[in-house]
Amino acid sequence: MRLGFSLPSLSKFSPIFSHYNPVQPISSSSPTSLKPQTPLFLRPPTHSTTLSHLQKWQNWAKTLASSVTSTDNGPDTTLLLRELNWLIEDALENPKSILPQLGNEDMVVTLRAELKDLYVLWKQRIEERRPFQYVVGCEHWRDLVLSVEEGVLIPRPETELVVDLVSDVVEGNEELRDGLWADLGTGSGALAIGIGRVLGTCGRVVATDLSPVAVEVASYNVQRYNLQDKIEIKLGSWFEPLKNFEGELAGLVSNPPYIPSEHISGLQAEVAKHEPRLALDGGANGMDDLLHLCCGTASLLKPGGFFAFETNGEKQCKFLVDYMKNELKGGFCDVDIVLDFAGKERFVTGFRSKTNYQ
Amino acid sequence: MMSQSLLKSFLIKFRRSSGATVDVLSYASSKCYDFGIHSRSSLVYPRRNHGVGSSQRIKVGFSNNPPFLYNNYTTSGSATTAAAGGGRELLAMTDQQLMTQCDMDTFKSSGPGGQHRNKRESAVRIKHLPTGIVAQAAEDRSQHKNRAAALARLRNLLALKVRNTVDLDAYSPPQELLLILPVKSTIRGSSCGPQIGPNNPKFALGKQALLDLIFAVEGSVSDAARKLGLSTGALSRLILSDDSLRMAVNELRTSKGMKPLK
Repeated sequence: MRLGFSLPSLSKFSPIFSHYNPVQPISSSSPTSLKPQTPLFLRPPTHSTTLSHLQKWQNWAKTLASSVTSTDNGPDTTLLLRELNWLIEDALENPKSILPQLGNEDMVVTLRAELKDLYVLWKQRIEERRPFQYVVGCEHWRDLVLSVEEGVLIPRPETELVVDLVSDVVEGNEELRDGLWADLGTGSGALAIGIGRVLGTCGRVVATDLSPVAVEVASYNVQRYNLQDKIEIKLGSWFEPLKNFEGELAGLVSNPPYIPSEHISGLQAEVAKHEPRLALDGGANGMDDLLHLCCGTASLLKPGGFFAFETNGEKQCKFLVDYMKNELKGGFCDVDIVLDFAGKERFVTGFRSKTNYQ
Repeated sequence: MMSQSLLKSFLIKFRRSSGATVDVLSYASSKCYDFGIHSRSSLVYPRRNHGVGSSQRIKVGFSNNPPFLYNNYTTSGSATTAAAGGGRELLAMTDQQLMTQCDMDTFKSSGPGGQHRNKRESAVRIKHLPTGIVAQAAEDRSQHKNRAAALARLRNLLALKVRNTVDLDAYSPPQELLLILPVKSTIRGSSCGPQIGPNNPKFALGKQALLDLIFAVEGSVSDAARKLGLSTGALSRLILSDDSLRMAVNELRTSKGMKPLK
């Protein structure tokens, strides 16, 4: 992205800009701390400024947003201006109270971050291409607001559909609804929480992730939705933390890394520069983890158990289906490809065969 | 013999050959999430793969056209008569029932999507298939909330655009219309309770019934007012109190060569 960049009121704030570390979130306790960040909208409103100072910041931020031209499929000005409104929504204690007071420049506004931090955050968004979700520390996903931070994949809208797929299969199937489910590579815990909320009272979810940061953030999100008795987050690679559950799972879902390694550097900067490669890079053809998951799934699911995997698209879907048909003959049945919102072949779903024919 | 049935069980329901009739999955509907915060187990959605309820067989050409553009009815002009069930039935449906007649998409159709992208695209477009009416919402960051807003807008549009036939000789205003009339209406009756305003979700139903009447009397506010026990001025004020109602009435009046209400 090229930045034609103008900073009307920057001089005042230059001391901050010369010191900040673009990737470190504001008010972070220490870079190595695993304590999850509190999303901006949940921070205490302990800062204040005047309406005129806030408006000055907003005008500066708008100018900055209007100056971008993206060359890598990044955000355009329209989206950035929308994000700016969301940032204001999250940063102000009571955004709606301001509207009737717009003429009153001396009005005191209560903020969840210092005004100077808002300058830093927006500059990170535009200049560093730091994802908006990391800037505010949350993503709105389905009807959830999930905490996210650097080191954790931002859950994608496409993945929301997996929860509906699960919801569909558990309806009218008590064994699945009240069974044990697994979400492998859970990241922010989005799928685990979404599924935890569609299962029956006895249904449980165990979610794994190799990244300690992801485990912390997912646990935080689970607690925020008061699901700690239903969802357990375990640290470890794919099936490793599930060794004791062979043949016991009612269902298994995963959104594993599936982007071919060589494509990573060409992705929009928000993704390539800021999101964890661990959660994106699926090896030479993007299939490394998906194939690994397929193989382990047959032994973990109980007969009749359901699985759903997200993939990179048509090619991977077809490859997986062929693989299951030929290499894992008899392990699965009713294998299906499911489209995402945009009509792309995105998910592979199916069931563990009731009898093992191998 | 065993392997025979095994192969069958492996049958992939999804076929890509262009123009194939895909037993989809009620594809569009599976994207429609609950509009309440809590359990969706009680909600009525057509289910993927089960072919029950109103799940549709959708003719899908996959090249560049996502299946959501499919429309199996035709619409003409600004007022539509609903093919099956009148507009009243449409508005009386729950959100979930109404969504089973709709396709929803999210404007995203180019690029590989998924992990490749960070666009925070939350815009939602809902298309009511029987009438072809489209409503959209983009102002909220949560797709969830945009879905709810788009659906509310769709209801409003259905109220404005889908007409029920009215028998003028035996006309008696339906209850939902009585509710939005000012209390001074002579036919309203005291059991009706206070007048409902445009911000009440039930206003759409009354608005629809009022438009049915105004269409039936071909735009004459005085004729409609007589049927409702109101003065012409009082009915004009009611029509002018809601922008979309005013615009619908004025569009009709203009088409009949009458002066718009102001």
